[in-house]
Amino acid sequence: MKHRIRILWVIIGLAIIAGPSMIHAYEVGEVQKGGTIQGHVTFLGSPPVPVQFKVDKNPEVCGQERSLMKVEVQNGFLTGAIVVLDGVEKGKPFPPQTLAGAAPGEGTFQHQGGESLGLQVHTKGCNFGPFTGVVVADQPIQFENQDSIKHILHTFVAKGQKGSILRTIHNRDIQPDHEMHLTMSSGKLKDSRMVRFACNRHDFMENWLYVVKNPYFAITDEKGQFVIDNIPPGHYTLRAWHPMLGLQEQEVQVTPGKALDTDFGFSG
Amino acid sequence: MDTGNMKWLTAVRIIGIGLLVCGVFLGVGAKTAEAALLEGFLDGFEETLGENAAAKGERVTIGNFYQAERPDSHAPIGVMQDHTHNKGEFMFSYRFMYMYMDQMRNGTHNLSANDVLKDFAVTPKNMTTQMHMFSAMYGLNDTVTLMAMLPYILKNMEHQNRAGVNFTTNSSGFGDAKLAALWRLYAFETPSIGSHRFHLNTGVSLPTGDINPTDNTPLGNNSLLPYPMRLGSGTVDLLPGLTYTGVRNDVSWGFQALGTVRLGHNSQGYKEGNRYQLNSWGAYRWAKWISTSARFNWQQWYNIKRKDGQLQTTVGPMNIPLVPTADPDRQAGKRLDLMGGVNILFPEFMGLENHLSVEAGAPIYQDLDGPQLKQSYSFWVGWQMVM
Repeated sequence: MKHRIRILWVIIGLAIIAGPSMIHAYEVGEVQKGGTIQGHVTFLGSPPVPVQFKVDKNPEVCGQERSLMKVEVQNGFLTGAIVVLDGVEKGKPFPPQTLAGAAPGEGTFQHQGGESLGLQVHTKGCNFGPFTGVVVADQPIQFENQDSIKHILHTFVAKGQKGSILRTIHNRDIQPDHEMHLTMSSGKLKDSRMVRFACNRHDFMENWLYVVKNPYFAITDEKGQFVIDNIPPGHYTLRAWHPMLGLQEQEVQVTPGKALDTDFGFSG
Repeated sequence: MDTGNMKWLTAVRIIGIGLLVCGVFLGVGAKTAEAALLEGFLDGFEETLGENAAAKGERVTIGNFYQAERPDSHAPIGVMQDHTHNKGEFMFSYRFMYMYMDQMRNGTHNLSANDVLKDFAVTPKNMTTQMHMFSAMYGLNDTVTLMAMLPYILKNMEHQNRAGVNFTTNSSGFGDAKLAALWRLYAFETPSIGSHRFHLNTGVSLPTGDINPTDNTPLGNNSLLPYPMRLGSGTVDLLPGLTYTGVRNDVSWGFQALGTVRLGHNSQGYKEGNRYQLNSWGAYRWAKWISTSARFNWQQWYNIKRKDGQLQTTVGPMNIPLVPTADPDRQAGKRLDLMGGVNILFPEFMGLENHLSVEAGAPIYQDLDGPQLKQSYSFWVGWQMVM
């Protein structure tokens, strides 16, 4: 009897340890007759003007003045909105891609792709990368400081649609020409899907990332366009998010080999 | 057991307790390394803050405990354990403290030397204490900041006896080493209400200071010196406390309650009284590199329990009390100091952040179970280097 109870405790223990990771793990596999979702994200109204900063720390590297465009709109189309398809548990691998930050910064978010997102944040010119991006929970992120100055990386999990509550995840110095690996743990993120990067030394260094669970996401280009392809047929929730504008979602049905057109519209 | 073996046994006990305390700090700290202790327990409070902040177009930030690169990111230099560090940060500090005491006092009334000599054979006239304090802080993880402090103390006391003869006694050496763990409790901030940070102070003082200092006196050479001239308590002491600090724009402030709770009696058979202090300060940042501060420091300390049996307390056939400093029941008191200070932050050099601080002040109230020497003034100079 005691032996059985011990085995039961071992099983319960293993379930507690392995359970969460087994439930949410995305699996890469072949997609047959995948469908596509494509569309635009529009913005109606006057976008906020870029925030101007007079650089008082390390102007020799960062420049004398910087601006941060938090909502980028061209001809009514919203750039940098994150469009995510939730609910896909098996499908295509994460695509490799490099997303560049706004000039004059030269930072990039580089995705190695494959079984995981493989996010690498190359900080250069006092710029972590583009204003918006994506991240996967519990996967290591490589931060590489290519600047000749120190940055103090402050990462937050954001609560509320527009991130009105920011809870610190990390607060770390990144020395010049050094790198470090950090993880946005699901324990810290809890149910939140928004992460913010900031530099405590340079106010204009600010980025917002959406926590994705699979590679079925897209970031709108300068025409507000997005395309998510090779989707296993099925019923899903499609979300469009912008850190300054909030979250919208709609239910979608992906049919084999077909393209579904759908748009999102934000206003300000 | 002979004296040699006793000393070895005491040394082994001290090291054992030190290792145990370090082990507990490190072990518990490593297990709760993810966040401040109260994070996750105040969701309702955060929601309310978030709603209020959103109504003003602001955001609430939770868990930002250390804001480097401000001259007032550290409290006035006379305050210890005032801030925590981010994971991996290291800070080395050197502080010099000078305290001058003169004139005897009983309660809130000053006494002349003759007043004291009516009841005692000898009276203290003045005393200087110099302390060189070396300390280090290390951000072990996102919860715990470890701290170690080791003081080197020099004491000097001038006396006068009934015959009008003046003499001086000196003691010097390392004081009691202190190990502390600062536990982050909670921090929140918004642009309009500023930032508010709370941490718990836990620590232990180890009896490394000499409680048998001797010097030549009219009573003889190598006489055992009385309690105020001793360099340590001789006991393991607990150092509990709570610290709150706030910042809004160019203003910063703080409040700290710290205690020293003595455990057991020392090898001389006595126990120093517990000591409690409250610090309350405010600072203004005039420029990015300089801030000035004002601080109130309230201290209350208690009489010695039992007594050092080897300490001579009377003299002559009439058993005249020798000196008030040898009386365990004339050690308690309470005092309120007002201190003014300046903190200077130097430009970063090779990735190092350097702070130079000074603080000076004097008591505005002191009530002593005397006769005791009253404090006249004190000042601090400190250099802190954050890596």
